[in-house]
Amino acid sequence: MKNRLRDALNSSRADYTEIRLERSTTSAVTFRGPRLEGATVSTDEGGFVRCLNRGYGWGMASFTSLDDLPAMVARAHELSLAVRLDAPIRLADVPVREADVTLPLGGDVRGIPLDAKKRHLESLNALMLGRDRRVVDTQAAYRDEVVEYWYANSEGTMLFELRPEVTLSAVAVARDQGTIERALESLGRRSGWDAVQHREDQFLAAADRAVALLGAPRVRGGTYPVVLDPKLAGVFVHEAFGHLSEADFVYENPQAREMMTLGRRFGGPHLTIGDDGSAAALRGTLPFDDEGTPTRNTVLIQNGVLVGRLHSRETAAKMQEAPTGNARALSFRHPPIVRMTNTYIASGTGTRDDLFRDVKLGIYACDAQGGQTYLEDFSFTAGHGFMIRDGQLAELVKDVVIAGNLFQTMDRIDRVAGDFQWNEMGGGCGKGGQAPLPVTEGAPHVRLSEALVGGSVA
Amino acid sequence: MIGRLLEQASRRAESADAAVKNDETVTLVFESGRLKSTAWSQERGVNVRIRANGRLGFAGTTANDPEALFEAALASAAIGDQVDLILPAPSPLQAVRTHSPAAAAASVADLAALGQSLVERLSHDGWQVSATVERSVGTVRVANTRGVEASYDVTAVSLSAEITRVTGDDILMVGDFCAAADLPGEPGVAALAESIRRRVAWAERPAAPPRGELPVLFTPAGTGALFLPLRQACLGKAVLQGISPLGGRIGERAFDPTLTVTDDPWVPGASGSRAVDDEGVPTRRLPLVEGGLVGGFVYDLETAARAGVPATGHARRTTFGKPQAAYSNLVVSPGECSWEDLLSKVADGLVVDDLIGVGQGNVIGGAFSHPVALAYRVVGGEIVGRVKDAAVAGNAYELLGRIAGLGRNVEWRGSLAAPPILLEGVSVTPR
Repeated sequence: MKNRLRDALNSSRADYTEIRLERSTTSAVTFRGPRLEGATVSTDEGGFVRCLNRGYGWGMASFTSLDDLPAMVARAHELSLAVRLDAPIRLADVPVREADVTLPLGGDVRGIPLDAKKRHLESLNALMLGRDRRVVDTQAAYRDEVVEYWYANSEGTMLFELRPEVTLSAVAVARDQGTIERALESLGRRSGWDAVQHREDQFLAAADRAVALLGAPRVRGGTYPVVLDPKLAGVFVHEAFGHLSEADFVYENPQAREMMTLGRRFGGPHLTIGDDGSAAALRGTLPFDDEGTPTRNTVLIQNGVLVGRLHSRETAAKMQEAPTGNARALSFRHPPIVRMTNTYIASGTGTRDDLFRDVKLGIYACDAQGGQTYLEDFSFTAGHGFMIRDGQLAELVKDVVIAGNLFQTMDRIDRVAGDFQWNEMGGGCGKGGQAPLPVTEGAPHVRLSEALVGGSVA
Repeated sequence: MIGRLLEQASRRAESADAAVKNDETVTLVFESGRLKSTAWSQERGVNVRIRANGRLGFAGTTANDPEALFEAALASAAIGDQVDLILPAPSPLQAVRTHSPAAAAASVADLAALGQSLVERLSHDGWQVSATVERSVGTVRVANTRGVEASYDVTAVSLSAEITRVTGDDILMVGDFCAAADLPGEPGVAALAESIRRRVAWAERPAAPPRGELPVLFTPAGTGALFLPLRQACLGKAVLQGISPLGGRIGERAFDPTLTVTDDPWVPGASGSRAVDDEGVPTRRLPLVEGGLVGGFVYDLETAARAGVPATGHARRTTFGKPQAAYSNLVVSPGECSWEDLLSKVADGLVVDDLIGVGQGNVIGGAFSHPVALAYRVVGGEIVGRVKDAAVAGNAYELLGRIAGLGRNVEWRGSLAAPPILLEGVSVTPR
């Protein structure tokens, strides 16, 4: 394969050419209620070529047939020449690398029969179904993938990686007359079969929570002090801050650049935020990004001050900053764009209960069902929540949706606990039509002095 | 490839069906008002299902290797579920236009000119304009061992644009899109640009959010949150699992009598149109809600077999996974009010254009609570400015049970067609 890549690169007439090839094997098993929806093994293969010529724009080609790589290179070159640009695109320098990397496979899933995967999920799913008669429906899913990945560019970088990934998810739906509630638990790791063992507690937790939510009141809408659990704090940092730190949002927009000027204060001295593509075995972890740039830990906010942002080679060159290894593509069907990897709020001090202590009436929001940013405005949905009354954890509440403005909310983070954890959830991030991209978030418990919690006004 | 697959299947399995999709797509991306990249992509995928010893198996691939694909399907069937699945026999199909020769013939330069025209129409001091033009040309083939052999050509053209305006810490983003089998032409481009400009004008001044249970006018673009619960509740699988609030209620009144929502796969050139579904079942028009009564649910073959009802021609297949029921084009029938009539009914309330976080949470239950992405304060029937710091909440089923006004102009956005809808008693909470 490497020879085919070299030949194709040598055939290119473009100033810069890069090629990615992927061959993946995926096993997927799904249960719906007591029934097997399906268990199957799929194969996918294809490639992506990107060419750049001085004074012209990007030309790209993606394809599911690897038969005629030189023709695809020629096509990308022609498409580049179709776009005249006054301001040339430049790419920041990255060291030329040749590497073969096999990420730890964590129990190679390719050696496990499909039937064993099915039986494993079946027993986990049965735990949910047998937990309570009010659990009327479940969705249980197992998915694994091993991708053979080649990257080469005309500067001489040549990489081969073996990228594993495994996800497990549990949805329990409970019904009591007209009330229907669901609870979700998931796991995602850049690992293999070992990672999905001993997950019984998660499946039982999904069933228990769906049932418990049946009897829980809706949260009363309004403004409260809110303590976020590490899962929700992780989604918060991803949604509310992470997307704004992606340089493709600011690099060609003078007003946005001004808003995100390095050195700007974004919160108190107890707040440190970063993105680390080199952390161990998380979903966003990779040795190199999809432009061949080594991944690393990039601090974005240091003690409340904006100190960094996430870059591709193009945005880094434009802003005269260093590339950070954040150019990622969902697959060979897509170009690399600036994305997060594993995004975190660094640990502070104290415990969860310390954060509750001086809250008279507040909300403890737990478990992320999802989040969305509309630039400075964001929303995220908690799986469930509890009231905090007189400094103590009180009753379970449901439909906890937290909305806010980034700038206000960052200022309102008044406590960061010392109990950091990575949240190894499934799911993923969506941007520019590329979803779900595997990412991970991590955080300790975090307190907002004030946040809008959606719900009924009645 | 499909022939060889089915021939193997007829020897080694009881039945089989397959869908093969090929397409070529050209995508032009404009950033900061100029064409930045041009991409071409080619995709070919085969999805097959077999029934062996009464058990169903599935497999999909992008590789050109029918033997390996068939073996994967057999392996899947070896541990698959037992289902009495009966594949459809050939039957006559409605003529449905899914392909435009002009769209298929458009050159990269033609597509670039469309994008350029859109970007120029949105050119404005302080506006960052991005746009995407995409054109794909493909074929869909569906075949089974009972003799179904359907094939049709598809074109899809989509145009989208977004402007970003940053003033201090205030960010305004307004976007819109259109998608169909045909090229939009200059009138289509002009309408898209005008739709974005109109919203920017509405958002020109900031306005304080109101509070309370208020009338809210949802623009066609803003109806997504309202109809998402309905979309989930009318899936045959949700009904079969007993989690649909509409399950078992066909013919019962569940909504306001003015509400009619139809799944219509026969709209000429609409992006969800087709004569036959991906399992070879002929498509048909299906009312989901008719005059406020629950009309019907959408099924793929397997879910229909399990539920003991006929399939409705709604199966979609991607290369990987198994067929699933999905809507074609969802059409909300118009009412009689003009936009001005609807607005004049709002003494104090909101126009909602876009919400944040739609689709999160317990959607099928109908309860929603979303901060507004784009919403405007209405006072005395007039839009007075953009409201930022507010969330709207309610229950979609309850709110659609008493519609205060339905617009007479339906707008198409991809596979959804809807008029503006005025609802009363929507909870609005300022931040």
